[in-house]
Amino acid sequence: MNNMLAIEVLDLHKSFGETQAVQGVSFDVRQGEIFSLLGPNGAGKTTTISMLSCLLRPDAGDARVMGHSISTDAMGVKSVLGVVPQEIALYEDLSARENLTFWGKMYGLRGAGLKSRVDEVLDVIGLRDRAGERVGKYSGGMKRRVNIGLALLHKPKVIYMDEPTVGIDPQSRRNILDSVVALKDQGMTVLYTTHYMEESQELSDHIAIMDHGKMMACGTHEELVKLIGQQTRIDLSLNVEPSKILDVWRTIKGVSHISSEEERISVLVEDSNQVLPRLFEAAAHSSTRITSVEIREPNLEAVFLHLTGRALRD
Amino acid sequence: MKAFDIALNDLTRSFRSAFAIIFMFAIPLLVTGMFYLMFGNIAESDGFNLPRTKISIANMDAGGPKFQVNPKNIPGGRKAETMGDLIVSILESDEMADLIEISFVADPQAARAAVDSQQSQVAIIIPTDFSEQFADIEEGKAVIEFYQDPTLTIGPAIMKSIMNRFLQGMSGVKIAVDVFTDEADASQYMLTGQVVEQYLDLSLALSDDPEGELLDVRAPSGDQPSAAEESQNAMLGIVGPIMAGMMIFYAFFTGASTAQSILKEEEERTLPRLFTTPTPQATILTGKFLSVFLTVCMQVLVLLIAARLIFKIQWGDFLSVALAAAGIILSASSFGIFVNSFVKNTKQAGVLFGGVLTVTGMLGMISIFGMGSPGAARLGDTVSLLVPQGWAIRGLMQSMNGEPVGTVLVTALAMLVWSAAFFIVGVLRFNRRYV
Repeated sequence: MNNMLAIEVLDLHKSFGETQAVQGVSFDVRQGEIFSLLGPNGAGKTTTISMLSCLLRPDAGDARVMGHSISTDAMGVKSVLGVVPQEIALYEDLSARENLTFWGKMYGLRGAGLKSRVDEVLDVIGLRDRAGERVGKYSGGMKRRVNIGLALLHKPKVIYMDEPTVGIDPQSRRNILDSVVALKDQGMTVLYTTHYMEESQELSDHIAIMDHGKMMACGTHEELVKLIGQQTRIDLSLNVEPSKILDVWRTIKGVSHISSEEERISVLVEDSNQVLPRLFEAAAHSSTRITSVEIREPNLEAVFLHLTGRALRD
Repeated sequence: MKAFDIALNDLTRSFRSAFAIIFMFAIPLLVTGMFYLMFGNIAESDGFNLPRTKISIANMDAGGPKFQVNPKNIPGGRKAETMGDLIVSILESDEMADLIEISFVADPQAARAAVDSQQSQVAIIIPTDFSEQFADIEEGKAVIEFYQDPTLTIGPAIMKSIMNRFLQGMSGVKIAVDVFTDEADASQYMLTGQVVEQYLDLSLALSDDPEGELLDVRAPSGDQPSAAEESQNAMLGIVGPIMAGMMIFYAFFTGASTAQSILKEEEERTLPRLFTTPTPQATILTGKFLSVFLTVCMQVLVLLIAARLIFKIQWGDFLSVALAAAGIILSASSFGIFVNSFVKNTKQAGVLFGGVLTVTGMLGMISIFGMGSPGAARLGDTVSLLVPQGWAIRGLMQSMNGEPVGTVLVTALAMLVWSAAFFIVGVLRFNRRYV
């Protein structure tokens, strides 16, 4: 990794009617690193990626990709960029080889160079043996691999991967995560969006947490976890609707944040050993039975809860 | 170059779809084929075969003193002792064998009864004094009774045609016989039949194609089409416009459905992905438009050739057909781009296409539907020109009817104007959406 910037994002704004999808997002991505945009659905990650891909014009702000401005040099941006969209975007009535060949042409490859590059990419995505089959007959995981392969054809300097593991089996997911690391090892810069905390934690050199179109925090995993100090997250399940007990628990000393979803409650605490008995005691007083307890060490979910007041799964 | 790559990609995908192939080629040919079968497959047969007309003949002619025939002297070796025998011998000739089937009955009542009972279609009754009346130049009145089934038309009409020709010949015969009997003595009367026969052979001489000669209401000549050709032309006069209508109707559907691939690719996310490649958006749209044009082009060319080979439809001379086809291709593809530029997604497009293309297609074909009625055809010609399909049909029909190239060119130019208007509006709207 070097300190040269691959992507500089400067105060991007984008609205759709009354909805402000992206509000003043800024961050830098260094060349050769994996940078994750982490946030729940609707956080503004895909809108940000779309602006950085020159698919959407920002209402305000700008960004530079390998020095090319998304506002004034879209072709320059696109020539150094590979995009793996969230949805599988392939011609299902063509084979994997035909898809790769067509998209290779769109990236300006021709002739023998195109053919050899298609073979290389087929090897990378592990589909050389089935390259002649129509993509429509592939499994979801295989389609995902072709979907990624298309973005690699022209050996881009920067690759955007927008939630590439959504809706696939664990084995395919593992393959994709390994391939992302492999891309970094080849010197590519990867901008990766996800709402899976574990993925961004495992892959990323830097992580930006987004919610409601805003950048909540940005840094390495360690830097982000430090934002919440040594807080521990306690997840509890109740036998009743939790609204009554929430107000009581908020008054307990050592509780910094509480969020709830149906009968599940997430509580951020300074010291779980001291707070947990008090939570049980208060529950007993209000005739509420705690049916399960899980104590989690400080992580990105806890950070998100700390920053937004709600769990990342929301 | 990238525009051609995009167009080629679309073409590959289009022609891999069995549905598209059926829609573009099979359905127009099948519909036309149904009409072709409905009107009979006359064009493929070697000739035009009518069923033979059944005739019952009651030849009661007893001959006459001035009408004596020496069988040895009659040309063709026919045996005839009376004028009635002579008529019968002509009807029994080889030339007539393909047209009529003769049976002899004993008397006029039996002949009429055969017609009444539908065993025969026509009865020919030659009276007892036929030869005698014929030979009486001064006051004689030779009459043949022609008795027919009133419910039948073709068979009796053929027979009437033969008998009329015979009777026209008779007037000449009478003059010839008159001259001959005035100058010959009684010992030479036996030659009267020979004179009659020779005259009739000349005046009744039929061409090599007695069917065509007798069925053609116009005077036969070498330049006129045969009956089979006439029948074929009549059938193609129906099937040709239907094929033209089907081709144009479905070409416009193909234009719209191929242009719909822009919306479909947007929904399948391949279009936004294309926009992330270093390919100008104008090039991408050009490729898409090019694929629409090429697809319609292939459809029209294949249908023109297939219809020529299968139904033997004469589309006209090469230049006229080329102009008409170019007009169809341009107007169908630009209309497809135009219509698609107004819809947001494929669901909306499905509903809109069903309505717009069906209504405009039907309006365009009004001139074909109204062909059977001159008044309706004139109205249809006018109304159909309100839609591009009507102009397309007009151009192709002009070519089929052998109208001058200049006339077809004017129609093709009108289609070019339609196409330019559709294309400009469509491109502007798509550009506003994507570029």
